[in-house]
Order: sequence, then structure tokens, then C-alpha cells
Amino acid sequence: MNSLHSGNGKILKTSLVLLIGALSLTGCATTTVEHQTIASAADPYEDVNRDIFAFNDTVDSYVAKPISDAYKWVTPQFLQTGIFNFFNNLKNVNVVINDVLQAKFEQSAEDTGRLLVNSTIGLGGLVDVAKDVGLPQNDEDFDQTLAVWGVPKGPYLVMPLLGPTTARGAPSSVLDTAANPASYIGMPIQLVSLLNSRANAQGSLDVVQEGALDPYVFIREGYLQTRDHLASDGKNQASLDVDSELGDNNVATTKTVTDKKVATDSTVAVADNANYNLRLSSADSFGGAARSFDATAKSFENANDKIDQLAKQQKTTKSRKAK
Amino acid sequence: MVFKNIKIIAVFIGLLLLGISNAFAIEDGAKQVVDKFQSELIAVMKNGKQLGFTGRYDKLYGPVSNSHDLSKIARIVVGKEWEKLSEAQQKKLVDVFSKLSVASYAHNFKDYSGEAFTIDSEEETARGGVVVYAHLSIPNDKDVKFEYHLKDKDKSWRIINIVANGVSDLALKRSEYTSILQREGFDSLIAKINEKIDNYSKL
Repeated sequence: MNSLHSGNGKILKTSLVLLIGALSLTGCATTTVEHQTIASAADPYEDVNRDIFAFNDTVDSYVAKPISDAYKWVTPQFLQTGIFNFFNNLKNVNVVINDVLQAKFEQSAEDTGRLLVNSTIGLGGLVDVAKDVGLPQNDEDFDQTLAVWGVPKGPYLVMPLLGPTTARGAPSSVLDTAANPASYIGMPIQLVSLLNSRANAQGSLDVVQEGALDPYVFIREGYLQTRDHLASDGKNQASLDVDSELGDNNVATTKTVTDKKVATDSTVAVADNANYNLRLSSADSFGGAARSFDATAKSFENANDKIDQLAKQQKTTKSRKAK
Repeated sequence: MVFKNIKIIAVFIGLLLLGISNAFAIEDGAKQVVDKFQSELIAVMKNGKQLGFTGRYDKLYGPVSNSHDLSKIARIVVGKEWEKLSEAQQKKLVDVFSKLSVASYAHNFKDYSGEAFTIDSEEETARGGVVVYAHLSIPNDKDVKFEYHLKDKDKSWRIINIVANGVSDLALKRSEYTSILQREGFDSLIAKINEKIDNYSKL
């Protein structure tokens, strides 16, 4: 019985491998033909992502937006601000954890101060007193920590209902949720948290709606650039890629150079992914996210070493600056 | 003879000084171009409501097209697709793209509530461009960090890219435009741009 069982398992395994192989082959074939832009190197599953994006958009226009509009209409502004401050303050628990994981010890002390001041004098976080004391809100999360630790972001993914993320961002947001006290409060407050998030996104969504020629690409680019900017604390600039093209006063004569640049860029991106075993076929993006979970778990096993390394790096850069 | 030599030296020094002052003029130029454009923008914002969309558009057309290198930006945002376009199509693209750029300024900077631009610093890039770092202060809100990337065009500096809080307008537009060109073609791109301009004028 046992041997039969293992035999079945083998057949299942081989057929799965074949299936995945076949899917990835067709995936490769279509990607080389259809997607030739630089950006699509970061978005190999564009077709699937676009479908989910369209689904999310429909759900948003028929469910989330009407409820959020009603919330904004019913709730006075001071209360909306209070609610925003309350959830923002709780998020700082996660910010402090990630400050430490990125070896930003000074900032972690400031953010702890921020959390304490707002939770006490700020009436449980309803009033943002810390801002006026000179402790601005910092933005740190597990995705940024993994980026600092050198984990590549992997392919761009659009999650049903949750929206844009990456193979690195998806498992990170699970950790972010776990490290946010708001996740442990009961259902009605969770709903308010959701309403608050949606209502605050309205401004950005208006910009997309008014300004974007292709909302899908606009959101993807905006998301990836903003995440890179945050993870590198403003040191990474997407514009640097473009700078090489800016140097070409005559695009016609330097066309081949530009083309080569595009090719190297995408090869680098592909190599980057391959290094981290994140080279996925177009069908198994969610499997990729699962693998990314594994990678994340492994990263955390070495967390101590990473933090030590980062702290050392920061010390040396500081002493260099001092000299 | 001595006088002649002195004369030559004087002329030489004069030329040298002229050269130096010219170099300085270009150095200063980048910052001045941004500064001038920002103050023109704030001026339009202050009268934004009375001017209305058309008024703001007319007032901003000169300032935007004089401070930006719109034809170069239009060429970069379509990437290598530019080469595949006919001359008439290229001309059409530059034309509607310029209109869209002015229209989006006219739409986004429609009123004034105490905003102020401040130039922080400038830096030369390795490729002979200049980056001007600035920020927009908005009362009761976080500052928006701006980077203006400028390139020399016929001895005057022109804005070629704006990076706001780490998001590069040029990179974002290039992804959008090349994606639409590849997926739907040139006519669809032009139709979409015209639709946006139309929407801006109605909002």
C-alpha cells in the first residue's frame, strides 16, 4: 500500500513538474513577444495582474468607494483626523520594530518617543502631538527591512482586493499586519480602520483617475518607484535610469546604444530574480509568493547578523563623514 | 611695444573674464529657470479662481514651454518607438504632448492656500546636466520634495524631468506611453491624450 502510494506520489510529482514546465515555456514565449518595455521586466505577469486590477477596480467603484464616500459625508473632519491619527499611531509599533531590524537605533528611539507621547498626551493617539514637538512620522515596514537586507523585490503582483505588491511585499505585509495592534481589536474597529484607509487614499486615486492615460501602468510605476524610494531612504532614483537617455542629444544616431541599455537593464533584472530563485513561470505567481515566505523566514534566521552588519556599516559611514 | 603687449594682455583678460562670466551665467541659469517658473506658477495659483481653466492655460503656456524642453520630453517618453513614427506623427505627438503638459499644470495648480516653493541646492550631473533640489511647503501638510533635472538647450537650461517625492515623472510617463503604443498603437495614444486635455478643461 505504502509503495503504491509513493508511486502515485511520484507520478503526481512528475506530471506537476511537466505541467509547470509547459506553463513556464508558454509564459516565456508570450513574454518575449508581447513585453518589450523596460518596466515589464519587473512585471512578467502583466496580463494576469491587469485582470485582477480590473476586478479590484470594479469592486472598489461598486462597494468600497460608495461606503467610503458615505463615511466621509457622515463623519465630521475633526473626527476623521482623530481616527486617522489613532490608526497611524498604532502603526508606530511596527515602525519601531523595523527601525531596529534596519539598525536605525536613533530613529527607533525617536519613534518610540513618538508612540509614547501620542498614546499618553495625545489621548490614546487621537491627537498627533508628536508632530508639533518635532517628531515626524516615519515610514518603515517589513518590506523595507527585507530590501535593506538585500532581498530583491521579485515580480510585481496585484492581489485580489489588496492591490499592488511584489513577491517580497506580499509576505511582508502579513508580518506588518501581525505587528500592528489594530489587527487584534474587534471587528467594528477593523471596519473603521478599513474605511479610514480607503477614505485617505481618495486623494491619490483622484490623481490617478484625472492624470493617468493607462491607470494600470501609472499605479504600477508609481508604486514601484515609491517603494524603492522608501526602502533606500531616498537614495534610489528611478530617474537615474532615464539619465542615460537624456544624455543623447540625437536619439536617432544613438538608437542602438539605447537599445543595448534596455537589453542590459532587463538582463540585470532577470539575473537578479534568478539569483534569488524567484524566476517564476507566469502561472505560479502565488507559488512565488510562498517561496518568498520561505526566503523571508530564512532571512529572519540571520537577523542578528544582519543588524550587526548594518550597524557596523552605519558606524563606518558616520566616522567617514566626521573625518 | 610694451603698451601693445599690455593691450593684448588686457584684451585676453577681458575675454577670459567674459568666458568666466558666461560660464557663471549658465551655472546660475538652471536655478533661475526653475525659480522663474515656480514664481510664475505661484502667481497663476494666486489668481487661479478668477482666471478659470482657460485663463490659467493661456497664462502658463509661455512659462511652461520656455522652461521645459517639451519636444525632447515627448521624444523620450515614447522611447525607441519614436523611430517607428512618421515625421507627421512625431510632430503631432509633440504638439498634443505640449498641450497636455500645460493643461495638467493648469488643472493641478488651480488655487492658492499659502503654498511656497523653496530652492534648496543644485548639483551638476556627470552627463552635463543640472539637478535643482527644491521643496513645496503646504500649510498643515508634509513638504513635497522636488528635483528638477535640467539640460542645456541652445545655451539655456530647460527642465527635462521632475521627480516629486522620489517618483520620476519622465519614467512614469515613459512606461505609460510605450505601453499604450505597443498595446494599442499611435492613434489610440493621441486619442487618450486629447481625452485627458478635454477632461482637464471640464473639471
